[in-house]
Amino acid sequence: MARYQQGDFTAATALIHRLSPQLHRFFVVQFASRGDADDLLQETWLRIHEARHTYRAGEPVLPWFYAIARHIRVDHYRKASRTLAREERLEEKHEAAATSPARSDGPPDLEGILASLPESQREVIEMLKVAGMSLEEVARATSSSIGSVKQKAHRAYEKLRERLRGMERSEGRTGELP
Amino acid sequence: MRDEEIDKILKQAGQVAHNVDPALLDRVAKSVGSSLDPVRPLPPRWVLASGLALVCAAVALAGAARAGFFGIQAQSPLDRALIFPTLGILMWLAATAAVGEAIPGSRRRAAPSTLLAAASLALLAVFAVLFQDYRTERFVSQGIVCLAAGLLHAIPAALASWLLLRRGFAVNPVAAGLVLGTLAGLAGVGMLELHCRNLETLHVMLWHTAVLPVCAATGALVGWAVTRRSAP
Repeated sequence: MARYQQGDFTAATALIHRLSPQLHRFFVVQFASRGDADDLLQETWLRIHEARHTYRAGEPVLPWFYAIARHIRVDHYRKASRTLAREERLEEKHEAAATSPARSDGPPDLEGILASLPESQREVIEMLKVAGMSLEEVARATSSSIGSVKQKAHRAYEKLRERLRGMERSEGRTGELP
Repeated sequence: MRDEEIDKILKQAGQVAHNVDPALLDRVAKSVGSSLDPVRPLPPRWVLASGLALVCAAVALAGAARAGFFGIQAQSPLDRALIFPTLGILMWLAATAAVGEAIPGSRRRAAPSTLLAAASLALLAVFAVLFQDYRTERFVSQGIVCLAAGLLHAIPAALASWLLLRRGFAVNPVAAGLVLGTLAGLAGVGMLELHCRNLETLHVMLWHTAVLPVCAATGALVGWAVTRRSAP
C-alpha cells in the first residue's frame, strides 16, 4: 500500500489483483448481480485511488478498503432504490432483479447460505468468516463498536443455525455442504 | 448444530474460488495507472486533532476578544476551573472523532449522536452544578442574542475545520457533518462562556447549550445534502 501511495504501478496492479476477488465477493454476497458487482468494484477502485492518501502506514489495511467498498455499496443501493421508486411509479410491476435472492439451483453456495440474513448481519459474517478479518477490523470497517459486531455475529449464527438445519432436513443428510 | 460446525461450513463455502473477469481487472489497473502520481499521506491523527481543537479554541478566543471577556470576569475561580477544562476535553474528543470520520476504517469509540448527547449532557450538568441563580430576566430576548452569537462564531470554526480536513474522505458525510457541527458548536459555546456576563442558570443551560445541537443538526443536514447531491 505504501508503494502504491508512492506511485508504483506494479504495486498498484498487485493490490488490484489480490484484493479484487475479495471485494467482488463482498458485493455479490450483498445480493448484487455479477454485472452490478463488476460496476461496484470499478467504482470502488476509483474511490480507493482518489482517497489513497488517507491510508496511514501501520494501520490495518483491510478495514480501510472495506470501509470504502461499503460506502460505495450503500451509495449504490440508495441510488438504486431511488431509481426503482421512480420507475415503480411509472410501471407498477417492475422486476427488482438486482435485489432478488441468489440462485436456488445447484449446490448451496456462500450467497445461498447467507441469503436469509439481514444486510447488516450478512456483511459482518462475510468480513469475519470469509475475508478473515478480526472483530476489531470489522468494527473499524463498519464504523461500529466491537460489541455491536459481536451481537450481529451472534444473531446471524442463530439464523444460520435454523437455516442450515432446514437445509439438512430437506436434503436428508447431515454431512458437510459441498 | 454448534458454532464450530457453522464456522466450518462458512469456511468451506468461502474457500470456493471467486473469480473476477481478468479483463475487468486489467481495465481497473489501466485506469488507476493513468493517474498514478505519488501522494502525500495525511498527517498523523493527533496532529489533525490538535489542529482542529486549536482552531476552535482560537475562534472562541478571537470572538470573545472582539466582544469583550465579560463572562470569564463575572465567573468565580471554581466556575472557570470547571467550565473551561470541560470544554477543552469535549473539544478534543470531538476533534478526534472528526478526524476519525475523515479517515476510512478508523476506530469509532462512540457514535456521533452519542458524542453530541454526552457533550450536551456534560455541559448541562456543569452549568446546573455551578450556577444557582434561577431568575429569568429578559429570558427570550437575551437568550436569542446569545444563541445567534454562538451560532455566528460556530460558522468560522466549522469552515476552518473543514479546510483542515478537506483532504480526508468521509465514507458517511452525515456522521462527519454531525461531528464537525458538534465541534464548531463547542467553539460557539466557548465564546459565549468567555463573553456572556449573564450567569442565570436557565439562560446558560438553555441558550448556551442549545448552540451545540443546533450546530450538530446543521452539520448533519449539510452532510445529507452532500449525499443527495452525489445522487443522480
